[in-house]
Amino acid sequence: MHDLHASLDATFAPFGGWEMPIQYKTGVVAEHTAVRENAGIFDVSHLGKVRVAGPGAAGFVNRCLTNDLGRIAPGKAQYTLCCTETGGTVDDIIAYLVSPDDVFLVPNAANTAEVARRLVAAAPEGISVTDEHREHAVLAVQGPRSAELLKTLGLPTELEYMAYRDAAWRDIKVRVCRTGYTGEHGYELIPAWNDAPAVWEALREAGGVPCGLGARDTLRTEMGYPLHGHELSLDISPVQAGSTWAVGWSKDEFWGRAALMAERKEPARRLRGLRALERGVPRPEMAVLDADGKRIGVTTSGTFSPTLKTGIALALIDTSAGVEFGAEVTLDVRGRELRCEVVKPPFVQTHVR
Amino acid sequence: MTPEQLKYTPDHEWIAVNGDTVRVGITDFAQDQLGDVVFVQVPEVGAAVGAKDAVGEVESTKSVSEIYAPVGGEVTAVNEALNDSPELINSDPFGDGWMFELKITNPAELGELLDAEGYRALTGQA
Repeated sequence: MHDLHASLDATFAPFGGWEMPIQYKTGVVAEHTAVRENAGIFDVSHLGKVRVAGPGAAGFVNRCLTNDLGRIAPGKAQYTLCCTETGGTVDDIIAYLVSPDDVFLVPNAANTAEVARRLVAAAPEGISVTDEHREHAVLAVQGPRSAELLKTLGLPTELEYMAYRDAAWRDIKVRVCRTGYTGEHGYELIPAWNDAPAVWEALREAGGVPCGLGARDTLRTEMGYPLHGHELSLDISPVQAGSTWAVGWSKDEFWGRAALMAERKEPARRLRGLRALERGVPRPEMAVLDADGKRIGVTTSGTFSPTLKTGIALALIDTSAGVEFGAEVTLDVRGRELRCEVVKPPFVQTHVR
Repeated sequence: MTPEQLKYTPDHEWIAVNGDTVRVGITDFAQDQLGDVVFVQVPEVGAAVGAKDAVGEVESTKSVSEIYAPVGGEVTAVNEALNDSPELINSDPFGDGWMFELKITNPAELGELLDAEGYRALTGQA
């Protein structure tokens, strides 16, 4: 795949231990717009793949990860979290429920080994945890025209949100899931690692615009989707990040349950959206100040929103500051003040369903 | 693309000399490296600046870079169009994407700037 990206004049950068295309010759803004208005294709094969199999594999995963696999049937996927016993977030993960005895996990690249290590350590006799990182590729097809692209390849498109189907293009097996990380109607395709170049080229010939991680980041930030290492980390719990919808509170057991239950009522800080009221671009790790100039939080992500043509950020704000939606705060942008409104993400209307 | 008639700095700025004033922008090479420019902060008209002072910022979707005064002087004009259309830096770096003008204090400082050939050599362009 690297050669294909290079042939499209990709700019590469290391990410999660992989050399990844950040943008192509088209540029981040054009790639971003292609996804919002047309269809973009992303090679996100750096994402991890871990298979948990054996009698009762789903039950085992359900006792470890936060979300409740009991809410979905085989053939569906679910966003879930891997936490420590103290409530820190090891990773956020997509879990594909294949059968009660087979769960396919897609963690973030940099955290795959740690997620696998924790599962291996906890796995009972008879349940195997296998790192299949280089056995499968992941190609995301995102945007209002994504279904048309898949139809060109004869792949299934009529899937419920977060449902998947094992299909084939020519003689290449492809798992097609109605999911994504952009806020648009979209799919993630999982072919075998070595089949990825052929599928990528077919998607490109069908009109898919190659998009890099730069656009993936501006798209997800506009949606307020967390990125591990920014909005979620060992120091940031799902309660603080507002990811509690992905926690199966009624389950008797999952990693971090006691700590998260205790924190649930009144977390010390909460993730909020900030929308710039004047020109300027927020970036991660900038101080959030109240009207008196007192530090009340910190940005976790920040960018220029190509859709809104304004600066946007996600920030952890101290609960004790009592800042409500609609309030005005200030960001310290390298010594310059940038006024922002506190808002509830998404910044841009979602079209995932 | 490195116009012959301009002067350059190792910080990838171009300088057009016109009597005792200079117009300053960033080069095509620089805008290509930066990617989509989304924000430009130029100095204030009337500000006194010294050679190599940081006087503003160019921010792209990827990164932030400082803008430097290539020579000392007083800021006499800034390109207000960049407020609403920072992408002019990408589309026309040597023309409509200019950033600011200075009235030069010490003309001798112009002698320290690179010519087109020197800038091409610096950036590895043929």
